[in-house]
Amino acid sequence: MQIGRRQFMAGAASMAFAGSLGRAAAQSVTLSAPWMGWPENQVTPLMTAFEKESGIRISAERLPIAELFRTLEVRLQARNELPDVYLVDGPLTASYAARGHLLALDEMLAADRDRFVPTTLVQGTYDDKLYAMPLGASSQLLFYNKKLFAEAGIAEPASAPDQRLTWEDLLPIAQQLTKPEISQFGFAFENTNPYQLLPVPLSRGAEVIGPDGLTASGYVDGEGMIEAMTWYQELFQTHKVGPVGTFQTGVTQEMFGSGKLAMIIGGTWNLVGFEKFEGLEFGVAPHPYFAGGKQVTPTGSWHIGINPRTAFMDEAQAFVKWLSTRDAMNLWFDLRQYPPSLEEVWEERAGTTFVDPAWEIVRYELANTATPRPATPAYREYEDFLRTAMQDIQTGSDVSGALTQAAQNIDREMRKYR
Amino acid sequence: MMSSRWTPFLFLAPALAGLLIFRLVPIGVAVGGSLTGVSLMGDLRFVGAENFEYLLTDPQFWSSLKITLFFNVIINPLQLAVAFALAMLVFRPLPGLWLYRTLLVLPMAVSTGISAVLFGLFLDGNLGPLNGFLEWIGVGAQPFHRGQDQALYTLIGIATWKGAGYWMLFLLAGLYSIPSTVYEAATIDGASAWQRFRYVTLPLMRKPMAFVLVADTAINFLFFAPVYILTSGGPGGATSLLMFEAYRSAFTFSDIGRSLAISTILLGIILVIVVLEFRLLRSPEERA
Repeated sequence: MQIGRRQFMAGAASMAFAGSLGRAAAQSVTLSAPWMGWPENQVTPLMTAFEKESGIRISAERLPIAELFRTLEVRLQARNELPDVYLVDGPLTASYAARGHLLALDEMLAADRDRFVPTTLVQGTYDDKLYAMPLGASSQLLFYNKKLFAEAGIAEPASAPDQRLTWEDLLPIAQQLTKPEISQFGFAFENTNPYQLLPVPLSRGAEVIGPDGLTASGYVDGEGMIEAMTWYQELFQTHKVGPVGTFQTGVTQEMFGSGKLAMIIGGTWNLVGFEKFEGLEFGVAPHPYFAGGKQVTPTGSWHIGINPRTAFMDEAQAFVKWLSTRDAMNLWFDLRQYPPSLEEVWEERAGTTFVDPAWEIVRYELANTATPRPATPAYREYEDFLRTAMQDIQTGSDVSGALTQAAQNIDREMRKYR
Repeated sequence: MMSSRWTPFLFLAPALAGLLIFRLVPIGVAVGGSLTGVSLMGDLRFVGAENFEYLLTDPQFWSSLKITLFFNVIINPLQLAVAFALAMLVFRPLPGLWLYRTLLVLPMAVSTGISAVLFGLFLDGNLGPLNGFLEWIGVGAQPFHRGQDQALYTLIGIATWKGAGYWMLFLLAGLYSIPSTVYEAATIDGASAWQRFRYVTLPLMRKPMAFVLVADTAINFLFFAPVYILTSGGPGGATSLLMFEAYRSAFTFSDIGRSLAISTILLGIILVIVVLEFRLLRSPEERA
């Protein structure tokens, strides 16, 4: 936090200085760009590549996910020239755009629209205008530790989407792979974000938000949601197959990487992320679902947006434009492996990267089971309260009580959009 | 000779200016702001008592208010009692006294944020050393800040660990200011140790105790950082103190009006309670 602020101040100071020298001094422009708290080596190379090409520096401040949203909120609310560009989570586009925090990109990207996979342009669009450019799509897979499966004599799950595990199949496997005496757990979701957990109620056929997008009571605390989250709680509290209180993505990834967790539902970024763990042999299978229920997988991803008040409009547009190039998207894919948003990248890698069975699964999910998060201008409020409730449920709070409280709070905050 | 008349005010001016700029103006802004609302596009508009009216119908506000009052009913007397007990312990000469005093005051030197993070690790359910110890002696692991029933008490414990040594300093100074002749006179009159404490120490400590209680109350009503770092108001809203609600409203949900309305109510509550505390701790002579 301290360092973040200092970097921010340094960025602000250098920008003020650059501003005083006038636009001619493009060499010294630094764009302030609040970024996700991904590992440093997945962020800096992208910024360096842009700097090399344009001479424009990007001060990418890496923040943990919840902090990123709060930081953006505080800075955007101030309605001044900072930040210049920022990461936009897909479902937040409406919230930012409705409040005048995003520049419409249609004109700037007019010639590029057709290069994108059409479905990836949906979440960045609000009121028929494109406000945020997709940096990819996303999908979640079931990663499993091959060695732990072999040791326990359990057959590895099939990778064919039509043979995917049900949650009912998964539980006994997770129980067999849970060994409290050596702190080994059978199964966990990568984190407790609604992004990752909503497919659980959705698979049961639950509606997770009212049809108007602005009603939570009766949905967030509806029957289907309560049933699904009770199942989730039992994983941790009754069957004890998951580590309680591990809410951060980094912690569960470490546990899987070090063999303390046999199965994890995680994003495609782990396909490269898990490579850093020596001796880890992992396989992937499709996301499970409830027997008799719907097959649902999470999707939606990070976008880039421009603050319409930026003092460096040309430079900010240059950065976004550069990110839309094939080279930049290829580099970005190498760094974090989100399913690409550019058709060209899919085509270019069709015979190489994407022959991997993991990517076969991802392509199937994106075409068939991917379900975006609720479309509502109040997604930020919805997510914040629901995340807290999901964490409380994991650690043992009364399921119905936690969801009712969340629903009431969400409804209260949604009133400003009605 | 205007100088003689205005000189005192001249000397007071810097302090008064500070008070005005850093205390009174922000309070005025907060109270004024509680009567406004912000549109989606950021335009400010006057809404009268709307924010307050809405709060009265909001179950989250009532729940936070109850938790805040309960928290303060426990923590303020507790911190005063612990600080007083510590002051009594390190008041009389003792071998190694400097060491005990240093250790007691040390938590004060750790920033609130860092102490919250350290306690988070210390009390962690999977890796925390305290739970390891509790399992080893057969008590079993406790959820602490992750448990709905224990979270608020865990925060009270952390705040007391950090605050007691600080408040002890004021009470220790108070103890030293009691003239030894009073104790000598009481001893000659045949007062026992308990009687000396009850009839000499306690009455003469009224003033420092009143100060500590009032200052501590004001601080604890504004208790925030450990909630933000350790519990985010959870689990199940068990630690959703009003200050945290005010923060969330302003910085997570951009509802400045609601946030300032909560702050204003909080200010009112603190004022009322502080006045009550002052009355309670007045000496009999002052009361007459």
